[in-house]
Amino acid sequence: MKFRDWIKTITFYEILLGMKETIKHLVHYKPITLQYPHEKKPLAENYRGMLALLRYDDGTEKCVGCDLCEAACPSRVIRVISTEVPGEPTKRYAKEYYMDMTRCLFCGLCVQACPVDALGMTREYEWAVYDKRKLHLNKEQLLAIGDRAFPVREKQLEFQHPNVAYFNVSFKDIPEKAN
Amino acid sequence: MANQESDKFVTITVDGITARVPPGTLVIEAARQIGVMIPHFCYHPKLAPDANCRMCLVEIEKIPKLQTSCSTPVAEGMVVKSSVPNVEEARKSVLEFILANHPLDCPVCDQGGRCDLQDFSHEYTPTTGRFKELKRIFPKEYFSPLIETQMNRCIQCLRCVRYCDQVMDVQALAPSGRGTMTEIKHFSIHELDCEFCGGCVQICPVGAITSRLSMYDFRPWMLKRADTICTYCGDGCQITIQTKDNELIEVNSTHGAGRNNGDLCPRGYFGYHASVHADRLNHPLIRQQDGTYAEVTWEDALELIAERFSQIKLAHGADAFGGLITSRCTNEELYLFQKFMRVVLGTNRIDSSARYGHINGIQALRRVQGTHRWTVTYEDIVAADTLLLVGTNITETNPITGLKVKEAVKKQGAALITIESLLPIRGTISNITTLASHHVPVHPDYFGLAVLGLIKSVLEQGLATASLSERAPTFVQSIRSAVGKVPWETVERHLGLGRDTFVEAARTFSQAKRVIILAGQGVLRAPQGSDVVTNLLDLLILTGHHGRPGCGLGTLAEENNDQGAVEMGAVAEYLPGPSELGDQTARKNLSKIWGDEIPQSPGATLMDMLEEARTGRLKAMFIVGENPVATLPPQAKVEESLDGLEFLVCQELFLTETAKRAHVVLPACSYAEKDGTFTNTEGCVQSVRRAMEPIGESRPDWEVFSALSLLMGNPIEYGEAKEIFKEIRSAISGYGLLGPSATPPRIKDEVVDRYLQEGFKTDVEVRYAFEQENTQPDEMLTLASVQSLFHSGKFSTRAKGLLQIQASGFLNVNPVDATRLGLADGDPVRLSNTRGEATTKVKLLDRVPVGVAFFPEHFDQNIRGLFSLETDPQTRVPYFKLTRVRVDRMQEEIPGKG
Ligand code: SF4
Ligand code: SF4
Ligand code: SF4
Ligand code: SF4
Ligand code: SF4
Ligand code: FES
Repeated sequence: MKFRDWIKTITFYEILLGMKETIKHLVHYKPITLQYPHEKKPLAENYRGMLALLRYDDGTEKCVGCDLCEAACPSRVIRVISTEVPGEPTKRYAKEYYMDMTRCLFCGLCVQACPVDALGMTREYEWAVYDKRKLHLNKEQLLAIGDRAFPVREKQLEFQHPNVAYFNVSFKDIPEKAN
Repeated sequence: MANQESDKFVTITVDGITARVPPGTLVIEAARQIGVMIPHFCYHPKLAPDANCRMCLVEIEKIPKLQTSCSTPVAEGMVVKSSVPNVEEARKSVLEFILANHPLDCPVCDQGGRCDLQDFSHEYTPTTGRFKELKRIFPKEYFSPLIETQMNRCIQCLRCVRYCDQVMDVQALAPSGRGTMTEIKHFSIHELDCEFCGGCVQICPVGAITSRLSMYDFRPWMLKRADTICTYCGDGCQITIQTKDNELIEVNSTHGAGRNNGDLCPRGYFGYHASVHADRLNHPLIRQQDGTYAEVTWEDALELIAERFSQIKLAHGADAFGGLITSRCTNEELYLFQKFMRVVLGTNRIDSSARYGHINGIQALRRVQGTHRWTVTYEDIVAADTLLLVGTNITETNPITGLKVKEAVKKQGAALITIESLLPIRGTISNITTLASHHVPVHPDYFGLAVLGLIKSVLEQGLATASLSERAPTFVQSIRSAVGKVPWETVERHLGLGRDTFVEAARTFSQAKRVIILAGQGVLRAPQGSDVVTNLLDLLILTGHHGRPGCGLGTLAEENNDQGAVEMGAVAEYLPGPSELGDQTARKNLSKIWGDEIPQSPGATLMDMLEEARTGRLKAMFIVGENPVATLPPQAKVEESLDGLEFLVCQELFLTETAKRAHVVLPACSYAEKDGTFTNTEGCVQSVRRAMEPIGESRPDWEVFSALSLLMGNPIEYGEAKEIFKEIRSAISGYGLLGPSATPPRIKDEVVDRYLQEGFKTDVEVRYAFEQENTQPDEMLTLASVQSLFHSGKFSTRAKGLLQIQASGFLNVNPVDATRLGLADGDPVRLSNTRGEATTKVKLLDRVPVGVAFFPEHFDQNIRGLFSLETDPQTRVPYFKLTRVRVDRMQEEIPGKG
């Protein structure tokens, strides 16, 4: 027993044993760290990234200004200011739409709440900025994100009956809502 | 006794809970009392049951089929089940049929979040529908600038139609079409033209009728609510102001809440934007040498005022000051204002806008019966069997009191006697004279004469109560001889109505058990206003109604707190109470509460103060919210008076014509931004609550008085409006309880006795004398400045909603006059008389009496210059509502008018 121990000691057996893994990895070198930004990880199918507002195929905004996303959002990211579509009395839309992305926790509840699928979660995540205020997005910015992230747009909803889309013809010069 | 008890109540069991309810109660109401909510659409407690929606079906034992609980009265021993499987099944099918045609609009529907259909669908139906068919779709029609319909959402419950007819008596809406294709339309080829009370919007259980004014600006869950009181008339309706991020969104009301019981008029429902108009003053202003205003801090402004006030007091004495306050202010502010004027400045020269007429009624009431409030309530109006309305277009001036009258007549079958200038012709808005059983059409000059005619008729027919001849023989005798001096021929010559007209009315009035007299602006704001009210009280005394329960006289206040202004002592002749200025006990009591002396000098009314300012006796005025320059006609020379002052301070919401003459202008808060109380025309004290933060740097008026008193070295300080109210409570009776007072004040018998024995003698001859001769030349019209349903004072002309209904004044004339003068609808006309001329446009209106033209007082358009000005010798009320004018058609168009 003693002799064996002595041999092991003089041949640095235990150290070699310890080095074995190291040497193995040295020989079969395989990097684990992703060389971001030169390399990017593939995203999951249902990845929840930057939010965006969407349009129909004819370019009209989908959002009808219903405020439901605002109500659904747990961290009060969204602020919708809705009003009547100019020139189309009694039709509702979001005149202004803001998202304060510094607070968003990407839960996707707004997307689920939206009755007309006007919100989408893109696969964008590279939104680091030096100025936080840049993460306070308005409607135009959100639509632009949607435009680049979802180039294939849904078809405009079809009305069951053309009457819905038209305002009565017998009254000319219908006044706009007072303001 | 036991028998009687069971006659009065029946036993009913709903879902296992037993209760005793009065017979005739509907099952749905009985269930509500028990605490079981039976879902319903078409039923509403204000409306007669229609039972058209079938939502309220319940199972009643021993009745084979399900019954509509909204139309089934309870019966003894009835056992009702509202949540058994077959009832739920029935409910589900009712909803399924409704949803078969209902659009999936909830996200963009303003009702979403507070919709009965939404709630019931969530509760009782599965999440998917079985219908594959296309939904019914109506072409969208333009409805009106303020009320919008979405007929695809209508469930045809007809609540709106029934409300408009049964409650409002307007009948602007009607169903058209059959079955599922029924839609609600208004009756004309034009856009909706109605009272715009908003009742249909509020009563629609779904989002089929919505307000266009707030459309899409909100979702119900975002709104912060504050129950407060409307500021537009003396009725004192409770409104709920709803705000989102300190922005006014909408106003609504709750069934069962407030004296209005959830009903409103257009001013209350659509007029809320006046207080957030862009012209609101945001900073204190000090006038510079060159006449411009510089924005300054509160400190600078208040210090300047305190310094100048102190200087003037030192140089000219306390009576060099005059104070004028609007009765749109809260009681707390009115009280503190008069306290400030009396204690800090040391003068009794105070007046308020109650001077424009309300004071006439109060003086008469105090004189004859020793009260300053109504001795009746709204409930008494509804329960009355005869109502006498004198000189009031009540549906326009006091719409909610008007609703009570409508309810009495339409639902309780009361007899209605109207002495009014309006003709009983239906129009787009309701007209109380059309409901009258006896209508006495009177030229606006002669309401007093018509009252005299009625009293004459009562006496001639021997309808005066017998006991009175024993109690006060001279009283009856004097009146008899006084009215005897005005022969029927005189009455007939002026009124065009003879003895016969009054016979029936007098008989109905005398024989009634519960009579109420309501006197309006036509009486209170016209010469001899106080006398006519006194005569009306005489009438009550003569027929033996005076002092009987449920009987009495009410005067209708125009401004929301006219009544409070008088009770707070913000008028020249009264201390808080109101007590006479010379009343020693009241003075002693007040000085104890105030810890300060009450000045001895006499008060001065508005007209006297203006006169004194002109002669240089008055050196400084403090005007709060009042705008005499734009209210009084030019002969009053208000500008001249104000310009002669050494120092004028105005506290205002806007830079008005009066404020433009001030040395310092202070920005005040509107009613929506402060706490306090208002006292309505009926004498009911109600809470005003802050609905939003003050706009700009504006502050509640009372804070300003308090701050000034501090700077002037005589601090009267309070932490909040409630503390002032506490002091009011100790100083003035009738302020113990907020809300409807359980018992209105009783008449004071000793005062009545004194009046009947001696008091009446001083002026009975004058009050019943009639000298006026009709001097109206044929080609002239009587021009009356009247209140419109859609506006209140000048304040409401800043409300964008109301401006969409009525944006400018038109001269309303009867088509007969129009034909005679060669005028057509919309023609530009020139009005002229010896005082000047003005231009406007004509609008034909059937209910305007022949020979008279109405112009809304809210729009000036130089019309004011045509009116004469007369000041009441006793009550010092300025009268300027009637005049005579020539009306000529103008050839050229008026630029920028109409
Ligand atoms: S994004 Fe969707 S949920 Fe949000 S307001 Fe627009 S329509 Fe409504
Ligand atoms: S009426 Fe009610 S159920 Fe119908 S769309 Fe509006 S919120 Fe939805
Ligand atoms: S707003 Fe007009 S239509 Fe609606 S209930 Fe009132 S009066 Fe009738
Ligand atoms: S509009 Fe509203 S209140 Fe009128 S019938 Fe339709 S659902 Fe009923
Ligand atoms: S103006 Fe008068 S009647 Fe109309 S809502 Fe206001 S208080 Fe009521
Ligand atoms: S609520 Fe009873 S039938 Fe409509």
